[in-house]
Amino acid sequence: MHLTRKEEQIYEGEHGWAEQTCMEILVRLGELFGATRLIPIESAHISGVSYKTLGDSPAEFLQALARTGAQSKVRATLNPQSFDPEYMCQRIPRWTIRRQSRIIRQFEKMGLTASLTCTPYYLQKPKPKSHLAWAESSAVVYANSVLGASTNREGGPSALAAAIIGKTPNYGMHRTENRQPNILVQMSTKMETETDFGVLGIHLGRILKEEIPSIQGLTAATHERLKQLGAALATTGMTNMFLQDNQPTEKGAEKITVETQDLRETREQLTTITTEKPDLVFIGCPHCSEDEIRQVSKLIGDKKVRTDVELWICTSRYVKRRTGKYSGIIEESGGHVLTDMCPIVSYTEKFGIRTIATNSAKTAYYAPTLNRADVHLAPLQECLKKAVEE
Amino acid sequence: MRRLTLKGRAIVEGLCKTEALVSRRPLSFLGGVNPSTGIIMEKDHDLYGACVKDKSLCFPHGHGSTVGSYILYSLAQRNLAPKAIVNETADPVVVVGAIIAKIPMVDRIDIQQIETGDTVEVNAYEGTVKIVKRK
Repeated sequence: MHLTRKEEQIYEGEHGWAEQTCMEILVRLGELFGATRLIPIESAHISGVSYKTLGDSPAEFLQALARTGAQSKVRATLNPQSFDPEYMCQRIPRWTIRRQSRIIRQFEKMGLTASLTCTPYYLQKPKPKSHLAWAESSAVVYANSVLGASTNREGGPSALAAAIIGKTPNYGMHRTENRQPNILVQMSTKMETETDFGVLGIHLGRILKEEIPSIQGLTAATHERLKQLGAALATTGMTNMFLQDNQPTEKGAEKITVETQDLRETREQLTTITTEKPDLVFIGCPHCSEDEIRQVSKLIGDKKVRTDVELWICTSRYVKRRTGKYSGIIEESGGHVLTDMCPIVSYTEKFGIRTIATNSAKTAYYAPTLNRADVHLAPLQECLKKAVEE
Repeated sequence: MRRLTLKGRAIVEGLCKTEALVSRRPLSFLGGVNPSTGIIMEKDHDLYGACVKDKSLCFPHGHGSTVGSYILYSLAQRNLAPKAIVNETADPVVVVGAIIAKIPMVDRIDIQQIETGDTVEVNAYEGTVKIVKRK
């Protein structure tokens, strides 16, 4: 890999241990994947924030970086933590809260924004054609496919290293030649709900290796539905990007067809229980957009949430603030608009949650193992019906 | 005895001579290795119950969460880290872990040739693993 004089100096340790370590991470990964140089990034997004999944180990490394003066050179945001600051917080042991806070504090010392969301693009949309170093896989697919920015699927540590250096190695998705579709997916079934899009993602993720699909005949696509597709695609596979309609694929590219039956089978696999009375109805994986909050509040209207069901709508505090009126309606009904957290990396068992109804295929995929809960996967409207009184 | 030298690629520089601990299966550090004891705790793993401390840890490649890199750092802070890492294929999680924990690492090594208990010399400048004593 070619390094500039300044990069060379950092690599040799002239700017201290923290930058040297970060530079070494970028250079070694770059060499491993055939990068030729480092390129400037517009922003970084770091995963590996929740204390529940991390434990104490990362805090030590983060502390060492922060103590030796590491500072982010670009706008850098953080993935969700393991609880929200108001509701769940009250039921979680204080030592857990302290340890979670310690992790966040180290990131903040390094100049990262504690956005605590998996949808950083709702805070600030990256410019088309910009280069990013993002770690949250659902956001990676969304950035590459919907926003027209370029990012590899970074890990927590490599995204942090990119933030500290302000650059990333130019391999993979950063190169135009690697962003061309190389498999054709023909939809021979009609897509109707956001859940259909998630189910399609789970199905395709399993079939595709790292190929970039051009999906033909995708009906009723909205940005929110494509968000579900991308999140699910990244859950079961290594694909980092999809394209839609009329994108010419390479000559002789493989073609696969998605039938109604494929989606039905996948949906049935993801639903481990059919229940009219789940312990939790969860909407917001990935975190809700303003539109989604508005939609939930309209569907709830003046109905009341059943006292024996938890209704959690997860989003960032920024989106919650911008949708104050609508979030208010949800909370008045007895639901909770929770910010900063994600149930998948959270303490749902502390709430006695054994069954979850959700519209998110990604959640349906992970909850049986990560939350030890059974899942009923259903579209928003159906989920909300289970949450409110008749 | 024939001293077998396996040739691979240097990933993180360093040199050491120590006992090998060999797995035929990929290893996830997050959830797979206890950061306060160095003991492999992934159930059904062929190294379940073994301690990685001071060993040349040989396994095909890593898998699982990228947070696994931090576990190697924690192990090193507690003097519980392996002395070297030998892989068939280097993957980002293990590479980043070896960098931040300063553990010599080589890949592209045919680890089938090495057995647990062998004494090996890992030269992570040259990218070689020499089996100096069979168990």
